[in-house]
Formats: sequence, structure tokens, C-alpha cells
Amino acid sequence: MNKTINQKAWFFVIPVFILVAFNAVVPLMTVVNYAFQETFGNNVFMWEGTRWFKQILRSERFHAALGRQFLFTGIILLIQIPLGIAIALSMPKKGIGVPICLVLMSMPLLIPWNVVGAMWNIFALPEIGFLGHTLNDLGFDYNFTQQIGDAWFTTILMDVWHWTSLVVLLSYAGLQSIQPAYYQAAEIDGASKWAIFRHIELPKMKKVLTIAILLRFMDSFMIYTEPFVLTGGGPGNATAFLSIDLVKMALGQFDLGPAAAMSLIYFFIVLLVCWIFYNLMMRNEEQK
Amino acid sequence: MIFTSVYAGWESVEKAHEKSFFDFEFITWMAWTWQTAAFFIIIAICLTAMVLWEKKIPGGTPRRGILGLDTTRGDRLFISLLSAAYIHLAWLGLVDLTLWIATIISVLFSIIVFRYV
Repeated sequence: MNKTINQKAWFFVIPVFILVAFNAVVPLMTVVNYAFQETFGNNVFMWEGTRWFKQILRSERFHAALGRQFLFTGIILLIQIPLGIAIALSMPKKGIGVPICLVLMSMPLLIPWNVVGAMWNIFALPEIGFLGHTLNDLGFDYNFTQQIGDAWFTTILMDVWHWTSLVVLLSYAGLQSIQPAYYQAAEIDGASKWAIFRHIELPKMKKVLTIAILLRFMDSFMIYTEPFVLTGGGPGNATAFLSIDLVKMALGQFDLGPAAAMSLIYFFIVLLVCWIFYNLMMRNEEQK
Repeated sequence: MIFTSVYAGWESVEKAHEKSFFDFEFITWMAWTWQTAAFFIIIAICLTAMVLWEKKIPGGTPRRGILGLDTTRGDRLFISLLSAAYIHLAWLGLVDLTLWIATIISVLFSIIVFRYV
């Protein structure tokens, strides 16, 4: 049987193509152009070759920002993924508790980033904030605007508060899709709770967990607004993650060339991680 | 009137450059250089070549390579381009020799990717 060849459907792609061209391709091309030139504004550019890439790749400042970024992302993944699974496992499976839990869980997700930052800023202030004041009353020397450890603790706590729910909701959806027959079979075999988790629930949640890790990785790797409002990257540069450092360089110092080179390196890291996760997900799909 | 005559003097300053046949005034803000333009043109040529290759000798269906991944020709192009980016970045970050060597390594690497991955 011969298929008729009709390429007219391609015309439907044109609107999306134009949209993507204007909001992604053209800006990206401009960034590539900036990355090889020096400018002092006024649309005057001077060719610099690969100088900015060399400078960024060998700068202590970039290494430090990248290190902080990976540390932050690693810590929040290590906390949020197990915590999210644990909460999802302990949530009720049916009854009135289900909607209550789901609504409570999705509440932090609905709050805009800058509001989360402002909330936690006030919440953690040592003099008037509930968290800060209580910790100081309990005898801890807590001041997130001055001490590096406290700033990290507050930033991580804020992110855990804001985003663990996402992992919970995804894992819960994964758990709900498991057929009761699996649990009945496990009961007949006299399987322990751990064995059920290890051999039924975890494998069944693998797909949603891959998505959860990918989303949490990307979001935390690009995090900007929350730490910007909470600590502003301080004290010093202690919580200046990659995006905060990038904006400081581009808009604070108006070093457009180095900032463009840095954002391209950033882009390649994100691209590589996305590709790895995409392949992991495809592999999961295959095994089904 | 009086204002036009005042401003008249400035017009000649404003029109210092002559408009050429190809006027790229509308994209000067993008700060194009011939090097970066050449880069994007090469990428576009790569994509077009892939389309023509597939038309001429179809064979882009997924295949399992040494990485244990099912890759099409397009996937292999993506892997080649991404690794070329990393090879160049590593070269810039670690070595002080000319960047063309990194380009040659990238080309050799992409040949390996197209054959075996």
C-alpha cells in the first residue's frame, strides 16, 4: 500500500518555529556573539576570540561558583528524594485524608519564588523572625546574614520546604498506580515491609523518580530568585550560586563577554545532564 | 523653520556611513561577526546534509552501539556536536596550544561516534 506524500502539515509548525526563534534561538545566537567580543555599550564590539572562555574556565571565581552549585544541588537531592518517598509512603491510600494531604502538599508549590524568598527572609531574621528568634532563644548562635553555615542551612531548608512536595506528589502518583495484586502476592509470601518497598514499590516508582530527579536537578541548578531574595548571595559570596554569579557579572559589572562565555558553559552542562536523563528515561521505557 | 535649520547641521554627522546594498541595520544589536556567523552556517549545513543523506541513503533507524544506546543518525550528530563543545572547552581550560588541534580531535571523535555509537 502506498502512503500519499503530503508535506502540508509542516506549515502548522511555523508558529511554534517563529516563537522559538524569537525567544530562544535569536537570544542564544546573540549570547554566542557576545562571548567572543568585548563591549563598552553603545553597540560597539571588539573581537576578542576565545579569551573569555579561557579566562572563565581558569578563574577561581567560576570554579567556586560551580562547586557551590553542585554542592547545593547534591545536598537538596539527597534530602528531597528520600524525604519525598518517605512522605509519599506514609500518606493515606484512600479516604478523606487523601485530598487533605494532597492540598496541603501542593500549597508550597503554588507560592511564587520571590515570595518564598521574602517569607523565609523574615521568618529567619535573628531579631524578629520566628525561626531565627527561636533558635537564638534555644541557645544557638544563629544569624544567616553573617554566618556562612547558617546561610546554607536556611537556603537548603527553604528549598526543601518549597520543593519536597513535588517529589511527594510524583512518588504518590507512582505508588497509586501499583496494582493491589502485587501487594496480595507479597502478603501471601510473607514479605517484610522493606522487601515490599525494595522489590515492588521502588521498581514501580523508577520512572516517576527519574522525572522527579531530573526536575529537581534542573530547578535547583538554575535556582536564582529564592537565594537572591533570601541572602543576596551572601554573606560574601557564600551562597552565590552559578546563576547569581552570572547575573552579578553580566549586569553588576557589565562584563557581557565573560558573562556570555560563562552562560554558554552553563548551557553545555545543562544540555549534557538533560541528555543523560533523557537516555535513562528512554531505557526505563524500553524495559516496560 | 529655525529648528530645522539648527538641526540641519547635525544630519550630515548622523549619516556618516553610507548604506550598502545589504543593510544589516536591523540586527546590529546581535553583534554578529563573520566567525560566529560561519559557525552557525556550518551547523545549518550539517543539518541540511543530514536531511540529504537520509533522502539519498535511508538508514537513520535506531541502532545499538557500544554505549548500549539506541541511536539514530540525528542522535549521533547531537553527540558529536556536544562532545565537540566539551573537547574545545577542555582544550581552552587545560592546554595553551592552538585550538585547531581540538577541532581536529573533535572531527576524529565524531567519525568514531558515527561509526560505533
